[in-house]
Amino acid sequence: MDGEKLKVIICSGTACFVMGGSELLLLEDELPEAWRGRVSVEAAPCLGSCKDRSCGRAPFVKVGVEDLAGATMPALLALIGRKLGETLGG
Amino acid sequence: MSGPTFVELGHYQVRKRGQGADGDAFLSRKASDGRIISALSDGLGSGVKAGVLATLTASMAVKFVSEDIPIRRAAGIIMKTLPVCSERRISYATFTIVDIDSQDTVKVVEYDNPSYILIRERTQVEPIKGEIRVTRAGRGRASAARGAVGREAIMRYSEFQARPGDRLVFFSDGVTQAGMGTRAHPLGWGAPAVQAYALGLVEEKPDISARELARRMVQEAEAVDAYAPKDDISCAVVYFRRPRRLLVMTGPSIDPSRDAEMAAIFDRYEGRKLLCGGTTAAIVARELGRTVTIVLERVARDVPPASTMEGADLVTEGIITLGKAAELLERGESAVRAERGPAARAAELFLDSDHIEFVVGTKINEAHQDPSMPVELEIRRNIVKRVAATLRETYLKEVELRFI
Ligand code: FES
Repeated sequence: MDGEKLKVIICSGTACFVMGGSELLLLEDELPEAWRGRVSVEAAPCLGSCKDRSCGRAPFVKVGVEDLAGATMPALLALIGRKLGETLGG
Repeated sequence: MSGPTFVELGHYQVRKRGQGADGDAFLSRKASDGRIISALSDGLGSGVKAGVLATLTASMAVKFVSEDIPIRRAAGIIMKTLPVCSERRISYATFTIVDIDSQDTVKVVEYDNPSYILIRERTQVEPIKGEIRVTRAGRGRASAARGAVGREAIMRYSEFQARPGDRLVFFSDGVTQAGMGTRAHPLGWGAPAVQAYALGLVEEKPDISARELARRMVQEAEAVDAYAPKDDISCAVVYFRRPRRLLVMTGPSIDPSRDAEMAAIFDRYEGRKLLCGGTTAAIVARELGRTVTIVLERVARDVPPASTMEGADLVTEGIITLGKAAELLERGESAVRAERGPAARAAELFLDSDHIEFVVGTKINEAHQDPSMPVELEIRRNIVKRVAATLRETYLKEVELRFI
């Protein structure tokens, strides 16, 4: 069911893309087998966070309700893992 | 400034078999007042010498007429300047000169080339042709068969108002005389068959481009000549096309109160529409109550993914995509066609349009000015200007820029 999936939205706006977002867009290929089907990966145009210094640095990714700033692939995978753990636990 | 149609020119030629150089020449030029002048000339014989004479004739024609010498007088000057062959007593080069003004009034002077074909609504129409007689200084007595009597050369002059959809097809006698002496065509392919073939092509493909029509005419003549052309074969086509229009909207306005205006321009535009920029797309989508969906398949490493939105032919990210599209366009049409991805798709939209209108928001994106960015992002205005210049100069597109 889609409703149970963890929604990951990767910003593919200009600032995020040049700050490393281009790599993050390949997230789907990096997901461990066990997580597939439990995560939905989407991209979005500029989320607006890059224009607000208090949000931190690009690139930005939304994982469920949480915002990840200065995202890297390892940090993103770690956060997804945590979220999946929580979801499973709850 | 621009006429009611977009004037597309196409030309194609093959040389006589065994010759290392073209003996026909085709040239065209856009004059400063917007007129388009083109000339097709066929030099006597074939090879380098014929090519030089044909090129000389065509360039004189294009130069004179674009510098405001009326076409009839220009033709007269060329006629008097052209040498006459002492052995065969005929002119060294034949020509067809076409002068199209910004209101699509067409003036044609023909000297010894086969008659042009004017195709309108899938039938051939024949404008009335008058004669222009020029007495030449040369001693040669031109043969009557070549259209000149005594020292007088006769050119034919016609004038007509082109309508949207019209096509003007003109060619060297390598086309009409193709196959001459063969059993199938002892007297050559012949004007009536050539006309019927051109009409057939338009019938078969009503939106055939000038380039393709010219190419297919020549290729058929080549086939009639059993693929061993006995003369240079060349064909030019002018297509008065209903312009294909493209709107490119990129960047938010500095003044947010103009968002609704931007959306209205987008909504009302008749033609294809390209949105370049996430914020731009978001503004239009919000104002029109639509959604932007990013398509995450086949992600290109160098350009952010494209999106879709109802009413838009393509939605892309802004600066990076436009920069890459500019680069592709500068590298040439084949570079564009060879690539995929959002930048190539945008570039393709540009190539497949005649009239392109940019609506450019001038708000500077603060986030792009961050010195910690690994690459320097160009200012939107500059990239747009770069794309516009290439489209105008290399691809002869009509481009309009509007900054809001
Ligand atoms: S580009 Fe990603 S938040 Fe603006």
